[in-house]
Amino acid sequence: MKIEARNISKTFGAFEALKNVQITVPSGKLVALLGPSGSGKTSLLRIIAGLDHPDEGQIMLDGVDATERTARERRVGFVFQHYALFRHMSVFDNVAFGLEVKPRRDRPSRSEIEQKVFELLKLIQLDWLADRRPNQLSGGQRQRVALARALAVEPTVLLLDEPFGSLDAKVRKELRRWLRRLHDEIHITSVFVTHDVEEALEVADEIVVLNEGKVEQTGSPDEVYEHPANSFVYHFLGSVNLFHTRVHDGKVQIGDVSLQVRTDRPDAVIYSRPHDIEISRERKDSGWFQASILRIHAIGPLVRVELEKTEDRQIVEAELTREQYTHQRLIVGEEVFIRPRQMKVYPA
Amino acid sequence: MAGPIAQRMPKQRPAPPARTAIAESAFMRRLLIGIALVFITLVLMLPLILVFSVAFSKGLKVYLDSFREPDALAAIRLTLITALIAVPVNTFFGICAAWAIAKFNFRGKNVLITLIDMPFAVSPVIAGLIFMILFGSRGFLGPWLLEHNIQLVFATPGIVIATLFVTFPFVARELIPLMQAQGNEEELSAIVLGANGWQIFRRVTLPNIKWGLLYGVILCNARAMGEFGAVSVVSGHIRGLTNTMPLHVEILYNEYNFAAAFAVASLLAFLALVTLIVKSVIEWKSGKDMIVNPES
Repeated sequence: MKIEARNISKTFGAFEALKNVQITVPSGKLVALLGPSGSGKTSLLRIIAGLDHPDEGQIMLDGVDATERTARERRVGFVFQHYALFRHMSVFDNVAFGLEVKPRRDRPSRSEIEQKVFELLKLIQLDWLADRRPNQLSGGQRQRVALARALAVEPTVLLLDEPFGSLDAKVRKELRRWLRRLHDEIHITSVFVTHDVEEALEVADEIVVLNEGKVEQTGSPDEVYEHPANSFVYHFLGSVNLFHTRVHDGKVQIGDVSLQVRTDRPDAVIYSRPHDIEISRERKDSGWFQASILRIHAIGPLVRVELEKTEDRQIVEAELTREQYTHQRLIVGEEVFIRPRQMKVYPA
Repeated sequence: MAGPIAQRMPKQRPAPPARTAIAESAFMRRLLIGIALVFITLVLMLPLILVFSVAFSKGLKVYLDSFREPDALAAIRLTLITALIAVPVNTFFGICAAWAIAKFNFRGKNVLITLIDMPFAVSPVIAGLIFMILFGSRGFLGPWLLEHNIQLVFATPGIVIATLFVTFPFVARELIPLMQAQGNEEELSAIVLGANGWQIFRRVTLPNIKWGLLYGVILCNARAMGEFGAVSVVSGHIRGLTNTMPLHVEILYNEYNFAAAFAVASLLAFLALVTLIVKSVIEWKSGKDMIVNPES
């Protein structure tokens, strides 16, 4: 089912949570709403689910206006950040709940419910825990039970609020791969909220970057990462180095590279990721900045080098592979030259 | 008067006398425990033992005869009727009030919380007087009630109303913090899964609050049966008609009929003991239901 949010606005008291937000979730895709806390991503998810009502705008499900439909009528699956499992029920009863509360005429028979629940418990690989209470499960297990419970009513849409937010790093990685595989199996239109860039990049088919209640960019993980639409997205997606520079005739010149920039201001900022910073002992042409090495962190496969530009004492971070590092034999305190290999330029 | 709720002590596990930073010296510990024990014996245990010993002072026959007397039977019946009406009604309203306060945000919420506490704050005698002023023959509604031949004060309805007022906070006070702590995410999950209001209440909310609810109900019941002040004002002390058990005890005592007075009193004391036992069982049960969460 295709989901469309049209011109959604929502305020809580004086706080504008969402400002004229427009997104489209194509049928069968797994979409991430990515943004820092307070960016409105959870509000948007709750509005899609019908748990909150927008002040303005419409929610379209498969082209039909569903704004006035209650959460109960929308038939969405919703997984809460803290799972919200029914604490007094067993895992089995939790998953069976959605089937058992159906009106008598739609309700499957007892044996059908049982079969369906065990099917789902097998899908989440927890059929051996059917009799346990939620508080006897680990965080990752609870998360999967919450997912099975949501899927039991065969929702047309699956919405997940920070699905891996309260898990430790290792379980988190496992579970997001598992979610990706699950989605590849069942192809249910899904939206998940996250503030974790890596998670969004790894799991989602498409990413919607939100900030302060507005959509900053929509696109595939590759598009969003490689071509950030603006400086916010660039910043949010990873560590970044800034080089202030001047604009001449709508262009910015770094060495032999010249970049177009749309601005009326005389200044612009060049953005470059640490792994795109090249370090050299000799200045090859004009595109190089002089810098001195402040610190070297050589732990793991990547070596992080912290440098200070001589010109304006700005800190620049560079990431080298271990091979490069051993080849170059950089020393702390040494004077070197650096250059952004890949860069983006945004108006200052 | 707000005793039973205020008395709830934090649940403590019998921890080993560990060398923690807050541990008192052995002498201090024994002294404090000793003081507490002496106090409890003097103020609580001794009176209780006295009630039963005086009740049986003239033998078992006199004790049992005290209950066979028609006025005593009428008092017991009236007390039971009052509790049978007041407890279910206040349970219902208590759940409604707690539900509204814990699960929704609305204007005047704090006013409502304060109002719920009011019966605890005012003396029951005042509560009784309020109803006299409202429903008494010279009260605001008195003439109108008289015209329509409705007798509220000096009759069972007045006693029930006074009891309702005095016992109102018990269930609500017990449930509000519990429901607030539990939040409403489970209810929201149930809505998304397609449950209707009644299904949500019966299958999700009620099981989560059942121990707290039962606790509130038994405290409410204990108070409904034991209430003296408010009921005393509105009852009119008509023997065999408007005397509840506590009032009956007072009358017998004033007539120097000590054995009978204490016999009826022992029934109330017995009720109190049963209440305490049920309360401990509930606390133990609900404690067991909340197995320590491995994650948090």
